[in-house]
Amino acid sequence: MPAAVKYRKGVSGMKEILSIKHYSKSYKGGKRAVDDINLTVEQGDIYGFIGHNGAGKTTTIRAVVGVLDFEEGDIYIDGISIKKDPVACKKVTAYIPDNPDLYDHLTGIQYLNFIADLFGVSKEDREARIRKYGDAFQITASFGDLISSYSHGMKQKLAIISALIHQPKLLVLDEPFVGLDPQAAHTLKTVMGELCRSGSAIFFSTHVLDVAEKLCNKIAIIKGGKLVTHGRTEEVTGDNSLEEVFLELIKHD
Amino acid sequence: MINIWRLTRVQLLSSFGLNKALHTRDRKERNNLLLLGAAILLCVVMLAAFSFGYSYMLAQTLESIGRVDLLLALMMAVTSLIGFFTTVYKAGGVLFGFKDYDLVMSLPVKTSTVVASRVLQLYSLNVFFTLLVMVPAGAVYAIYVNPGFLYYPLFLLTLLCIPLVPIIAATIIGALISWIASRFRGSRTVQLVLTIAFVIALMAGSFSINKQEQVQVLADLGAELAESVFRLYPLASMYVGAVCSYKAGSLLLFVGISLLAFLLFTYVLGSRFKAIHTGLTTSRASRNYRMKSLKTSTPLRALYRKELRRYFSSSVYVMNTGIGMIMLLVMAVALLFVSADQLGELVEVPQLADYLNTLAPLVVSVFVTLSCTTSSSISIEGKNLWILQSSPVPAHTILLSKIAVNLTVTLPVLVISWGLLSLSLRTGWVESLLLLVIPAIYACYSAMLGVLVNLKLPNLEWTSEVTAIKQSAAVIVAMLIGFISLAVPFAAALLLPGVDGNLLLAAIGLVLLAVCGGMYRTLQTRGERMFRGL
Repeated sequence: MPAAVKYRKGVSGMKEILSIKHYSKSYKGGKRAVDDINLTVEQGDIYGFIGHNGAGKTTTIRAVVGVLDFEEGDIYIDGISIKKDPVACKKVTAYIPDNPDLYDHLTGIQYLNFIADLFGVSKEDREARIRKYGDAFQITASFGDLISSYSHGMKQKLAIISALIHQPKLLVLDEPFVGLDPQAAHTLKTVMGELCRSGSAIFFSTHVLDVAEKLCNKIAIIKGGKLVTHGRTEEVTGDNSLEEVFLELIKHD
Repeated sequence: MINIWRLTRVQLLSSFGLNKALHTRDRKERNNLLLLGAAILLCVVMLAAFSFGYSYMLAQTLESIGRVDLLLALMMAVTSLIGFFTTVYKAGGVLFGFKDYDLVMSLPVKTSTVVASRVLQLYSLNVFFTLLVMVPAGAVYAIYVNPGFLYYPLFLLTLLCIPLVPIIAATIIGALISWIASRFRGSRTVQLVLTIAFVIALMAGSFSINKQEQVQVLADLGAELAESVFRLYPLASMYVGAVCSYKAGSLLLFVGISLLAFLLFTYVLGSRFKAIHTGLTTSRASRNYRMKSLKTSTPLRALYRKELRRYFSSSVYVMNTGIGMIMLLVMAVALLFVSADQLGELVEVPQLADYLNTLAPLVVSVFVTLSCTTSSSISIEGKNLWILQSSPVPAHTILLSKIAVNLTVTLPVLVISWGLLSLSLRTGWVESLLLLVIPAIYACYSAMLGVLVNLKLPNLEWTSEVTAIKQSAAVIVAMLIGFISLAVPFAAALLLPGVDGNLLLAAIGLVLLAVCGGMYRTLQTRGERMFRGL
């Protein structure tokens, strides 16, 4: 880690893991998809990112994980600009897209080992983590089969395990609960909690409002590419349920 | 019928980024695509002109033996055979390898309609080539013979039927191979091995036919030629009967056979289509894995292994890009056995020997340039691209792994062929060295060129691998640049007979090395940005 990087402490005194500053992204042709987003995720946060279809969630998330190139604003992960040193940022980040298309021609274990190689995970760590999470998601027995034979949910489980394999400081998930069976969804929530207690942070988008309300300590709502509200979950919701707040905010134009 | 067209149109729109060009709102992107379209059009016009010139020269030769009528027969037979040959190895992939299978098959259309739309995609790939050969040939014929008015409608009517029978024949073999493969456990590997075996058998077969015919060149050249063409491809005689002699019977027979073959095939395959597709795509799921010790490796090695597995998991990919190396190997072996004596005599002719030594490395390089796997290696990532884009590996490492796979495909075959060719061509040590080094440089050149072109012209939204591998702008552009890079040295070698061949080759090698260095630098400095901009 470069010595010059200084950690800014958030309001709560925790280290900032993700900091989005004035991020904007336009579609080809000029229309704004995301407009001046500012947002901070601190160590230990489970940060829910909520919005209707086409609000700009995925456009934001893909820029955070370094998949989408952007011109306006900047994004810092663990204090490093993703524009200046994308590789260093990606080293501490894990990403699971909403519809994880994995390499169909590899077996599950080949894929996990491939990802572990790319992230430079030691032999002992990768074996221990694959064993742990494979058993937790009850998928170890299928590791020897080609991914092309996997169901949608199994692919998602594999993507989740591949994201946990290098113990990321920042875990970014796009709609992680879609397609998971109830047990796997429960396991994922447990794992998310564990990860945050060990000092990581999680940033994820979702449509499942009651999950977000229960799981997240912080929430941001995006509408038409702009953040309409963000902060601690109880501050955002007040006396109402998150669903009521969300519907109310989305209704007003 | 209308459904067949609807399904075919959807597939065709995804080719060459056509739909993107029609609907993109980005002005820059549209302009780029327009420019590309113009460049391709220019090439088509040039090819058409070349084709016309070739037909014209052929017609002159045929006129001297009084058989201009054979021009159309010859050209028709040649397009048909080439069509057959180039379809055999991609038929299985086009028929069964499309990702929207579930979507298409759940639509309220007959399975035979789906099959028909797949066959028509193969047809559309071939009809272009047929037009490019036959239209100029037809024009030359009209100039020479000045036929009656009836010639024109008959020519146009039969024109579109020409590719049907070769495609069906090739597709039957492709489907058969797929059908056999679908019954095995490792169906993809079996499909690949069977296809390669068939192609090699076909090449070996055509070599032996040529050998026989050389013996039979007799006094009555015209009749002999006609007979051998018609024997090689019986439909050619029907075709000539219909177009040149206006025989109604021949016309009916030719059009009838072509259409009937198409209908019958789609009907028959339609009944087995689902079974074959299921057999090919159902992977074995044993669900009995137990955690074992895992091997670690560097990112580059891991990427390389993944890339290599990807390559060999797709028979379309291997056949389309490996065909050049297969041909090179078959040629090298054939030269060793078939005509060692004749070749020996040729080498004795002093002037020819010089040419041979200069041209041989370039000829070998043609095969190497044909085997460019990298020009579709980024497109082939398709929806998987996020995995590499979000991984903490510098883009140039990723791109390097793709180049390494291309070299793995070309270099070993090149070295083996080089050994064989050195034996049969009896080259001296300098010539031997050039025969290895020049194609090796071309291998590096074309691999890096492919990556750069594909970065500039990616096609990530395909539903069938064939679209990425065969029908994408990057593949065509890389191939064109590759050919130009070969045509220039060829022309230099032929037009500058005074210059020492070895010197010329060395100069070409140095220029290419410099270009390779430049491309490598570009990948290192700008690769990251280009890769992230995908």
